[in-house]
Amino acid sequence: MTATSSRASSTRRGASEMSSHREAPEMAKDPVADSTDVYAFVSPDRPDTVTLIANYIPFQAPDGGPNFYEFGDDVAYDINISNRGKGEADLIYRFRFHTQVRDPKTFLYNTGPITALGDATWNRPQFYSLTRIKDGKSRKLAEHLPCPPVNVGVRSTPNYPDLAASAVHRVGKRRVFAGQRADAFHVDLGSIFDLGTLRPFQAAHLIPSPSAVGINSLQSFNVHSIALQVPISEVSRAGDVPTDPSQARSVIGVWASASRRKSRMFHRGEGKYVGHGPWEQVSRLGNPLFNEVITPMAHKDMWNARQPKGDSLFAKYVNHPELARLLPVLYPGVFPNLAGYHKPRADLNAILLTGIPKGVVPGFTNFTGPVESDMLRLNLAIPPASSPHPLGLVAGDAAGFPNGRRVDDDVVTVELRAIAGLTIPLVDPTFTPDGAASAVQDGTTDTNGGTTLTFPFLGDPGGGYQTVPGTSSAS
Amino acid sequence: MGETSRRKVLAATGAGVAAGTVGLTMGPAQGPAQAGEARRTSSSARESVVAYIEDHRSGTLRLLVGEREVVVHDRDLVTRILNAAGGQ
Repeated sequence: MTATSSRASSTRRGASEMSSHREAPEMAKDPVADSTDVYAFVSPDRPDTVTLIANYIPFQAPDGGPNFYEFGDDVAYDINISNRGKGEADLIYRFRFHTQVRDPKTFLYNTGPITALGDATWNRPQFYSLTRIKDGKSRKLAEHLPCPPVNVGVRSTPNYPDLAASAVHRVGKRRVFAGQRADAFHVDLGSIFDLGTLRPFQAAHLIPSPSAVGINSLQSFNVHSIALQVPISEVSRAGDVPTDPSQARSVIGVWASASRRKSRMFHRGEGKYVGHGPWEQVSRLGNPLFNEVITPMAHKDMWNARQPKGDSLFAKYVNHPELARLLPVLYPGVFPNLAGYHKPRADLNAILLTGIPKGVVPGFTNFTGPVESDMLRLNLAIPPASSPHPLGLVAGDAAGFPNGRRVDDDVVTVELRAIAGLTIPLVDPTFTPDGAASAVQDGTTDTNGGTTLTFPFLGDPGGGYQTVPGTSSAS
Repeated sequence: MGETSRRKVLAATGAGVAAGTVGLTMGPAQGPAQAGEARRTSSSARESVVAYIEDHRSGTLRLLVGEREVVVHDRDLVTRILNAAGGQ
């Protein structure tokens, strides 16, 4: 393992992502295992590799000390890859964490400035191992890799960008990073969950009020990211670098999952829980939004514990999504064509459950076969875009969502518009979308740290000292 | 079935296997043992174990040990545990 000095050369802002923060009742009580966003894309900084990112622990206030946020030592974090079209994990990268307390005599997270990952002033360092599981066989690729500390403040973690960059590790031809990042996801949760309000369009809402700009509910919050950049040949079905985007073997399915031990017993002597038994999946995330707004609340916890290959059980909620029924009710007269469309939503079924077959979008496919499974599908033969469009495929940029997902892809808008009927004509030319279907959005932008142009692509987290709760941005 | 008349042996386990079904077989006592007293075998667990009976009517006991789950089908054993849980 070698620490590198590859830090972001620049940052960028804009666009948005949809997520899965607190998307299920049980998972909302277990933030350490709560996967919030998953990204998968051919790396623009190393096009012979693919970058896979899974975020956890939503809504981190940067000043949340003295026991700051960290990965769970009692959680197994997996990035799963299916490359045989069966909705099963053909390849798993597993991250396991362990935390040390260097000085048991202090309550402090740090006893002085932390200027390097090995500083004794960092009282609670966290380390992790990376294991590759293929065909049931595990191979530990690296262990005792240090995470960066959280961004405490200007005195405790001065020059945080360099500190974080030193936690980008090389493992063979791979790069890996695990630690705190600025949450690039932005959405107006306050309005959307107030009876489906979209502030820019709320004058047309069933309970109207003057139109307004969106408010980013995740402004100044951080997450914990697991980021892995691996050679394409390591994840492709044939062990090569696919060049023909029309071939099914060029497509992989990606999802993140988190598992806990089957039993937890409270150990009074240690004052904490001790795990027993096998790992049981408690959280998963493939396509953004799926469990959040497609799966009914009564089934969300069960969905989290299942494998993608069994997702035909949930296909009826994709084919007849509740949100598509609600839009015409919440916005009277705005979606008449959508209100009159009663066929199964084959467009959403393709986008979310099977991938888009050949012939639907000229020159593009990410179809993985008939097995209905919620995975983020990435066609490895499509190179990174020279000018990425945040609306991805629907804007003609085949390197973006729903062909995988980049950190700046505006999947909130893409999925809102898809559910509103914009993508129905792809599979049913007789349907004419309502005019509003190509206009709906929540009106937010990324007001956090800004994403980067190089691995790990998510920006530095807001610092505890620097960030003032309720202000317009983290700093 | 009296405890004095049998010896229960874990017939099949698999180290490293996440979950396995174990048949409890009866066989002759091996070596000296006191009536009603079980003996530990060479494969006996050497760590803490959590026993779980999900359905009291099923006769199935789940043992969580290390990163494994061992499923035991033994109505008699389950009954004795249920009785113990009931204070008997």
